[in-house]
Amino acid sequence: MDHSSPLFALDQVTVQRGRALLLDDVTCEIPQGAITAVVGPSGAGKSTLLRLLNRLGEPTGGTVRFHAEPLPALDVLTLRRRVGHVTQQSILLTDDVLADLRVGAPDLDPEQAATLMKQVNLPADILSRKTANLSGGEAQRVCLARALAVGPEALLLDEPTSALDPASAEVVETTVRELVAGGLTVILVSHNAAQARRLADHAVVLQAGRLVATGPPDQLDYLQEDS
Amino acid sequence: MNPTVPTWVGVGASVILVAFAVVVSHWHRLHLARDITIAAVRAGIQLVAVGAILLLVFEHTGLLGATGWVAIMVIIAGRVAARRAPGLPHTLAIATAAVAVGTAATLGSLLALGVIDAEARVVIPVGGMVVSGAMLATALILTRLREEVTSARPAIEARLALGLPAREAFTPYLRGALRTALIPAIDSTKTVGLISLPGAMTGLILAGVAPLTAIRYQIVVMYMLLAAAALAGLTAAHLAERVLFDDAHRLRSLAA
Repeated sequence: MDHSSPLFALDQVTVQRGRALLLDDVTCEIPQGAITAVVGPSGAGKSTLLRLLNRLGEPTGGTVRFHAEPLPALDVLTLRRRVGHVTQQSILLTDDVLADLRVGAPDLDPEQAATLMKQVNLPADILSRKTANLSGGEAQRVCLARALAVGPEALLLDEPTSALDPASAEVVETTVRELVAGGLTVILVSHNAAQARRLADHAVVLQAGRLVATGPPDQLDYLQEDS
Repeated sequence: MNPTVPTWVGVGASVILVAFAVVVSHWHRLHLARDITIAAVRAGIQLVAVGAILLLVFEHTGLLGATGWVAIMVIIAGRVAARRAPGLPHTLAIATAAVAVGTAATLGSLLALGVIDAEARVVIPVGGMVVSGAMLATALILTRLREEVTSARPAIEARLALGLPAREAFTPYLRGALRTALIPAIDSTKTVGLISLPGAMTGLILAGVAPLTAIRYQIVVMYMLLAAAALAGLTAAHLAERVLFDDAHRLRSLAA
């Protein structure tokens, strides 16, 4: 894989809903094989930007490219299988953990499921558990595993740790680091500058829908303030 | 057959029952006397008008007039059902199409199979029952779909994000909505005759028809109401599904 070219490139991207300008002329690149943090205060347009990358959202202006191809030129279902998405609230879709992993990957066998559990730092016996009995941290990692079961090359994580206690958040962060070390690209939305500094190789800073900075987190003034 | 039908004097005498309701309302200070009076007068006028028009249709316009009458009922029923689910795109068109499909298929089958006679005096009342069954199911399915799309949006989007096509992502919610919409028709079919004597059968018995003959009609009515509800519900669900998602398999935002 050529890691020098960006995975995603946004060119003058605008998202307008009614009179509200959610993203305003955003141009930036998201590198491959790294963790990119999309950072900014609430209402900055972070989740709006994330949803453009798997076409759950659509820009009203500008172009989003994936491997240099404009998104509308790609088959949207294939794109979504290549770019997984995990939201802030763990959304479990079925009653059993194994069944949940199979929603996007119906042919997943128990062995593959056990490997996925290992990848997200969960014990294999959780596969037979009811989803209703999972803790917040376990549920979030099952959602992560469900996204991985489809075999994506990138994962979009929307505030994946903000609903978790510090210990569970740390496990999720470790999991994310290990996944990226294994070749995955992660784009992570966070309102937490400290998390971006800790976790990310690259950051995109948004404020009120506008791009205010982009680059390595340790070189961005915005991310040096504690939050 | 010797139907015993109240004379106009009898109808006039029954006004005393309305007066009784008004007195009860006044006595208990329910402030409903005006509403009761208006409702009673309205019911009287509406039914006289409908009776007069039906007489005209039966005697002068034949099957064509009956078809027109059923078509008007379908249009009105479509509007009533559509009102239940504001915010869904194209609700009026979907509701009208669903009631029309349910009615046309059910009534058409009954006529084609020779179960009912192709006469205005049969097609209009039977059509009315079919339309109202289809309307109830359509209204229920649209209400449930509206609720599902709002409450299950995160789960539907989580399925879409896994690369599932819109139809597959929506299937569990569509199924749930369809089940809910069909339960009243199934329940009333199950309990028919046990809880209350249904309308068609009551009418025939009042008109002097033997009970074992009247039930034949009622059995057909129950089966046709099931079919009308199922067909209308299914049509509404599938049409709604098409407008709820766009070409990029995205769930559209609904107006408040």
